Amino acid sequence: MVQDEGSSSVTSSPLQYFSLMSLSPGIGSPYPWLKELKSEDRGLYLIHHLLVCANHVASSSIDNANLALERISLHASPDGDAMQRIAAYFTEALADRILKNWPGLHKALNSTKITSITERILVQKLFFELCPFLKLSYLITNQAILEAMEGEKMVHIIDLYAFEPAQWINLLQSLSTRPEGPPHLRITGIHEQKEVLEQMAFRLTEEAEKLDIPFQFNPIVCTLENLDVESLRVKTGEALAISSVLQLHSLLAIDDEMQKRSSPPSASKSLNSNNLQRVLHMKQRTLGEWLEKDLINIYSPSPDSASASSPLSLNASPKMGSFLTALWGLSPKLMVITEQESNQNGSGLMERVLEALNFYAAMFDCLESTIPRASVERQRVEKMLFGEEIKNIIACEGVKRRERHEKLEKWSLRLELAGFGRVSLSYSGMLQAGRLLQSYGFDGYNIKEENGCFFLCWQERPMFSVSAWRFRRYD
Amino acid sequence: MPAEVGNSSPTASGEASVSSSGNQPPPPPPTAKKKRNLPGMPDPDAEVIALSPKTLLATNRFVCEICNKGFQRDQNLQLHRRGHNLPWKLRQRSGKEVKKRVYVCPELTCVHHDPSRALGDLTGIKKHFCRKHGEKKWKCEKCSKKYAVQSDWKAHSKICGTREYKCDCGTLFSRRDSFITHRAFCDALAEESAKAETQPQPQPQPQPYPPDQDPRLTMPSPATEKPDLEPDPKVKISASPPPPPPAAVQPSATVLSSILADPPAAAELPENHPPQVLEEQPVRTNLIGSCSSSSTSSSSNGHTGNSLIAGLFAPSTSSASLHSQQAPAFTDLIRAMAQPDGPSDLGPSPSLEPISLCLSTNHGGSSSLFGGPERRQYAPPPPPPSQPAMSATALLQKAAQMGATATNASLLRGLGIVPSQPSSGAAENIHWASTSMDSENASVASGLGLGLPSDGSSGLKELMMGTPSVFGPSKTTLDFLGLGMAVGGSPNGSLSALITSIGGGLDVAATAAPFGGGDFSGKEMGRRS
Repeated sequence: MVQDEGSSSVTSSPLQYFSLMSLSPGIGSPYPWLKELKSEDRGLYLIHHLLVCANHVASSSIDNANLALERISLHASPDGDAMQRIAAYFTEALADRILKNWPGLHKALNSTKITSITERILVQKLFFELCPFLKLSYLITNQAILEAMEGEKMVHIIDLYAFEPAQWINLLQSLSTRPEGPPHLRITGIHEQKEVLEQMAFRLTEEAEKLDIPFQFNPIVCTLENLDVESLRVKTGEALAISSVLQLHSLLAIDDEMQKRSSPPSASKSLNSNNLQRVLHMKQRTLGEWLEKDLINIYSPSPDSASASSPLSLNASPKMGSFLTALWGLSPKLMVITEQESNQNGSGLMERVLEALNFYAAMFDCLESTIPRASVERQRVEKMLFGEEIKNIIACEGVKRRERHEKLEKWSLRLELAGFGRVSLSYSGMLQAGRLLQSYGFDGYNIKEENGCFFLCWQERPMFSVSAWRFRRYD
Repeated sequence: MPAEVGNSSPTASGEASVSSSGNQPPPPPPTAKKKRNLPGMPDPDAEVIALSPKTLLATNRFVCEICNKGFQRDQNLQLHRRGHNLPWKLRQRSGKEVKKRVYVCPELTCVHHDPSRALGDLTGIKKHFCRKHGEKKWKCEKCSKKYAVQSDWKAHSKICGTREYKCDCGTLFSRRDSFITHRAFCDALAEESAKAETQPQPQPQPQPYPPDQDPRLTMPSPATEKPDLEPDPKVKISASPPPPPPAAVQPSATVLSSILADPPAAAELPENHPPQVLEEQPVRTNLIGSCSSSSTSSSSNGHTGNSLIAGLFAPSTSSASLHSQQAPAFTDLIRAMAQPDGPSDLGPSPSLEPISLCLSTNHGGSSSLFGGPERRQYAPPPPPPSQPAMSATALLQKAAQMGATATNASLLRGLGIVPSQPSSGAAENIHWASTSMDSENASVASGLGLGLPSDGSSGLKELMMGTPSVFGPSKTTLDFLGLGMAVGGSPNGSLSALITSIGGGLDVAATAAPFGGGDFSGKEMGRRS
């Protein structure tokens, strides 16, 4: 039946249905469809409530946040569809954040948590196997290394997080088939766990012996923050390549509060394009000082587009600055960096929640379509890997917040300021990566190229960026 | 003349000195203090001493008479004799200047036999004699090098195996400087040889691979190598039926080749030949199977690189087993396909791992189950719980379009107004309402104006976000947007209106569905008209 009613009352009815539905989802209601929300509606419901909740958390209205959390929990579940799972992990992160207001409670609840490092490593391996992203990254990295090291007789590779031997086995195999023969290869692997490095050493030396490549593996057991570049023992005369896969962003973790206090906010230090030129030509040490100081606002070179007109502000990070400078000091011939293509380094919670929602929605979608729902491995990856990342992004602040993903444009700025020049990734790398996807039947993934850098995308949304850099002298 | 114990050689027997130039030893005055001569030029006024081989080879010439312990120096023996309470006498350095002594090698054929080439050090001459004219009694454990002098042997053992550098020519170096020096010379040789190799071969692509390797490799042949792959994959693909994935595997198993081996037709097909792709659609998974089998076949070529897929990126068995129960039919099919593909070293199981992974992706029968917005399929109502849901990204986009992702002030206001009421965007309600289409409550549905299957108006379609069965398949996934448009012309506007009316929503409960439905449809009707 159709009734003509004023437009003002249009909106009331749907809401009313909705309210009925959510107030009594399980009770037999006159409206049977209430029982089962279509997944789409449920998804939207979850999104809305997540944002509502995040807003409440950001404004510290805890009661409202609590209500929102309760509503979300009606439909969120780690076993459901992608949106349900995302909601589950996001609510956990938000709750964790709220709980930190009561440090005693928070500590008590976490006191019996058994942090298993083996579990973490296992989960990373699972991620490597289940999703093609890491494989693609390794492939592209190795291809770039091969090309850069053409003709080199002594090659030294530094792996900033050496946990997957497959990456270097691949490279060993490629190197053994070089026309000029394999070089003398040294790989320095950095990891926090000695056992992981031992395993890597074993596998790699075994492979190198099979292929008859003079090979050496140097393990370095330490975290990236505490890394002493001297311990890398880079020798003169050897060509150095550095591989960093999803590691650099953790160095951006700084004590935000202190930063804010030490420097007055706002764009008092904005540089216009002239200054930018000067900055780029500054000596390396001065740049390091710049990096260690306050916010650097840099206008991107193309003032035409609307987005470019807004300043690309780089959060100053002394750790990052000094680390990059140290790496620069080693004069690497090549440095390949893979990072998540997402802006998770905002200082505002809502900003991060929104970005995280977008990024992890794509990630969970990717898992959803690649792996069946019942898969325990998938759940583990979601919980132990992404769930932890989400928790870190949302619930942690300051130095503890290590998952500070940044988009490639920002990384480019940082690297350029630190004295690195871009190296274009070759088309053959793209071809190989494409073939890998085809051969595994990974559908929905694709690789985009832009300015010589690759973006590993899921359904047109860039998830990871792979870029290559080299040591550049200032003239 | 003071001389060491032993015989003196016929040539230099207590002669005064040795001239640097010739064999005539002029008698010059003794030097004031000890100084080292330049190597190869002994002090002209030094005393030449010739010792017998026995003397030179002898170790521990001084023996204690009591315990028979041997000492190399008399002084040491004397000190030892003290311990036996024997009379001992330490020979002091003689007051007058000690004449510099040089030693000659007793071996006639030796260069150092000539007094003009005498060595200035006793230990030196001993070692020299051992090294050159002695038997090599010490052998290195790691390598096969033999040494006559124990100290040489010790020094070598320390270094042996710790070589750091290896030149192309195979020489090993433990010292960097020597390595680099050598490399400088060796490089020249190596480069020339390399240039000779690569020059005749063109290098079209910027890769270090041999030019004969074509990155557009299509079909790896089983256990055979056909280096003459045509650069044009299309030709190859169209020529070959799906099952035989075999293709030439390039001799050098680089990353490229391994990857190349894996995606034979599958890689090229979708790019180049849609019709062929279509016809092979049902065999798609088989292609993937053939990919894997080709990978195995390529690995059978013995190239380590080709085991890349299996070795490097092979999914874990857990995932394989995980999927195995889900698609046994496919697995068997692929096995069947894999059989004729040729010998595969790895056997079907590892090749199946990627297959099963692929199978899981093809589970739903379409290439991308939960694809992006452009591929959303609406499930027929009522949607069973296991039905593929809209992807999270799509949901977010929808929500964004509705203005929900923005921290809408109106949204908040709405929430603030009615905290007990779950606020939601208009879209959800409308969505949700749209699901009610198929509810038994036809009145509600009709009231909503949604349950009018006959209505094929685009406006309604846009409004009705689901159940294509009722409204026909709607590919316009931007229905939400459409919805928003339909309702208020702007999503935000409608949303705000919606939110603000939340306050009144509760009161409407009593009025129940038809009322609201009527409102909805009324508006719609108005629009349609």
